[in-house]
Amino acid sequence: MLGRGLKRKLSDYEENMAGLSSAFDSSRNLTYPLKRQLVLNMCLTKLQTYKMLVEPDLHRSVLIANTVRQIQEEMRQETSQQPVNVCNGLGLHSQNYTGVDSAGISAQLLSGVNQQESNCCDSRSAEEPIENGLLMVSDDDMSSAISSILKDLDFMEDISPPTCLVPAGDDQPKSPENVGLKLEDDRQELKGAECVFGSFEISNSTSYLKDLAIDDIFEDIDTSMYDSDFCCPPQMPSRVPSATTEETLKTFPTCNSSSTNSIQICRTDLSELDHIMEILVGS
Amino acid sequence: MPFSLSQPSRSRNPAPSKPGPHSSQPGFNSVSKYFMSARGRCPQSQHVEEAGVFPEGHTGCSAREPRQHLSPSQSRLTGALPAQDSGSSPAARWPPCSGGAGGEPTRVPSPPPPGVAGGAGGGNDFQWCFSQVKGAIDEDVAEADIISTVEFNYSGDLLATGDKGGRVVIFQREQENKSRPHSRGEYNVYSTFQSHEPEFDYLKSLEIEEKINKIRWLPQQNAAHFLLSTNDKTIKLWKISERDKRAEGYNLKDEDGRLRDPFRITALRVPILKPMDLMVEASPRRIFANAHTYHINSISVNSDHETYLSADDLRINLWHLEITDRSFNIVDIKPANMEELTEVITAAEFHPHHCNVFVYSSSKGTIRLCDMRSSALCDRHSKFFEEPEDPSSRSFFSEIISSISDVKFSHSGRYMMTRDYLSVKVWDLNMENRPVETYQVHEYLRSKLCSLYENDCIFDKFECCWNGSDSAIMTGSYNNFFRMFDRNTRRDITLEASRESSKPRAILKPRKVCTGGKRKKDEISVDSLDFNKKILHTAWHPTENIIAVAATNNLYIFQDKIN
Repeated sequence: MLGRGLKRKLSDYEENMAGLSSAFDSSRNLTYPLKRQLVLNMCLTKLQTYKMLVEPDLHRSVLIANTVRQIQEEMRQETSQQPVNVCNGLGLHSQNYTGVDSAGISAQLLSGVNQQESNCCDSRSAEEPIENGLLMVSDDDMSSAISSILKDLDFMEDISPPTCLVPAGDDQPKSPENVGLKLEDDRQELKGAECVFGSFEISNSTSYLKDLAIDDIFEDIDTSMYDSDFCCPPQMPSRVPSATTEETLKTFPTCNSSSTNSIQICRTDLSELDHIMEILVGS
Repeated sequence: MPFSLSQPSRSRNPAPSKPGPHSSQPGFNSVSKYFMSARGRCPQSQHVEEAGVFPEGHTGCSAREPRQHLSPSQSRLTGALPAQDSGSSPAARWPPCSGGAGGEPTRVPSPPPPGVAGGAGGGNDFQWCFSQVKGAIDEDVAEADIISTVEFNYSGDLLATGDKGGRVVIFQREQENKSRPHSRGEYNVYSTFQSHEPEFDYLKSLEIEEKINKIRWLPQQNAAHFLLSTNDKTIKLWKISERDKRAEGYNLKDEDGRLRDPFRITALRVPILKPMDLMVEASPRRIFANAHTYHINSISVNSDHETYLSADDLRINLWHLEITDRSFNIVDIKPANMEELTEVITAAEFHPHHCNVFVYSSSKGTIRLCDMRSSALCDRHSKFFEEPEDPSSRSFFSEIISSISDVKFSHSGRYMMTRDYLSVKVWDLNMENRPVETYQVHEYLRSKLCSLYENDCIFDKFECCWNGSDSAIMTGSYNNFFRMFDRNTRRDITLEASRESSKPRAILKPRKVCTGGKRKKDEISVDSLDFNKKILHTAWHPTENIIAVAATNNLYIFQDKIN
């Protein structure tokens, strides 16, 4: 059912985008921030789509990532120039994002979305159809794009998983604060966009071998006993991994389920299999 | 480097012609009536000579001379072209070329010498007309039949095409028929072979496309022809040779090929060569593999005819044609941390005369010229060509549309041309800060960039090419349109490669895109353009006015019409 729902949403999204991009081109009803948001959404969607491909085009990915960076830079400059943004219903969010100056990509995007929401609440009536389309697009798809990017962030690192866990994108109105705090690491800045480039490498690192080995060699290993043994930690946020569309490059069979603790299981599998691989490879 | 590149660069065409900078066009005077510069214009300075022929030994004017050297016979072409009749189909009436960087304030506006397209009437002008079309007609186009590269050889007698299915088809020009002086030789299939097969990379678990990205001919040195063809990962040197004799009367083999028992042979005979039907064989002579991690986008044969370069997104390698197990990496722009990657290599080419010089273009709209004598690894460029951005035309897509999709040196070696999404720029190698000429290919698309980004058309990689005398350039567009620009008259023309205008020797009608306001008759509006019909690959005969245009799965050949 999730798959079907997702498909419908994608085709709606595409229709939305086609209408929006022609609206962009004819420059009607779209303010500059909205245009920028639209372009950003398109870029992120494209990056997401390219990650799904077996072999993404490096040239296109670089161009799109540069565009994302450029927009992000612009947004960052704007937010740094606006110390306070007063808005009725969403004051909490405004205060939160202004305090963050070294947040990663998701914080900025989330704040961008919040900014849009706050900006639009006044003029919503006039530009409702288009903006609803934009925001409707941006909420769900940005969140899934962000979560996929951050998932990749996790998997990109060879060391133990990062201590911070990012909340689900759907919950964004509730916890921008968490996001701002947890993504302070400068190293992760813009990593979302560029992490696609890691996949272009032929690397001989053990992490690469690890992933590949897991895909092919360990597919028939029965890990069901591990599944049932791990209880769901109460702190685990309810994160809906739209895993059917993301992370095919580093996919584990057990992670394709939509269970809430699938990420936890994946990580444990990773370390377990890491052990096994090390024994096998003799390193 | 173990092999030396110190041999003097030879001219591209070791054909029996007089030495000098213009000798690259063999038979300069004998086929001069087919030349763009047929009215006796020195290709270097556009100095116009009378009588259509340069004196023997003329090797080019040393400096750019002003236009006042018009001969009296040219003066009737001065001024506007004759007004056309409203009823007849418009023959090549050009609007003045829009755009064009500041360049030559001293250029005197000249009458249109027979440039890219002729005027209406006038005995010395010419027009483009249809010659041939190759490929299937039906609407359903198989992906494998889509042409991915087109290239004439050095003499222009052979025309090679590569397609997405990994096949190479070579056409050969027929000898001119004396009884039909008005139609010059047609191109017919000479050889077809499967150059590359789809491969599977087991380590990365992905398929390597067999699509031929580029074909480059080697200069002919004996009876056989050689070309390099490449897909994303592997370059192959193919030898195409003719066989029209076979040997009969072997001693150890029967006529049907069975081996004879040596002890039964009582007499020896000398095999006799007997004629047979002409057979053209293609055989791979070298395979240059496993040197590229990323996708190969360019190959370029050096003027020393011994080495060539291959470029992928991040690296450029130098090969020797005889050595397949080694290549030298001469450019590497891969950052230590892939997350810092902001620029990729999009095209590279050797200088036509200086075997130590090459250029490569980037996705940021810059071109770097490198000299291999300066260091083994040419990461530091000798020259850096970049045009400052025009702040008034800045948009979210500025960087994407500035990405250069093709770079080509002029035949003279003095200029190079780059193609980005909306324009073609001509650069003087001695001036790095801006191009000397800029031609807008389809400026009307600037207001549609978001839609083109959404459907990925903005990433289309158009190629461009020079004519033999470097006086005109050609590039493709959408809706099966292609554009030609005359550098001297600054006139341009838009033509279409379509089946409708495919009658033999039919003159091509200029096309026009309506950019706004009322659409005139015969104009097409921007919204009606078919963005699936794109002309990415074009080629111009090295000496004559013959062009080959690849429109999806069809190859169109157009020639100028002799009046």
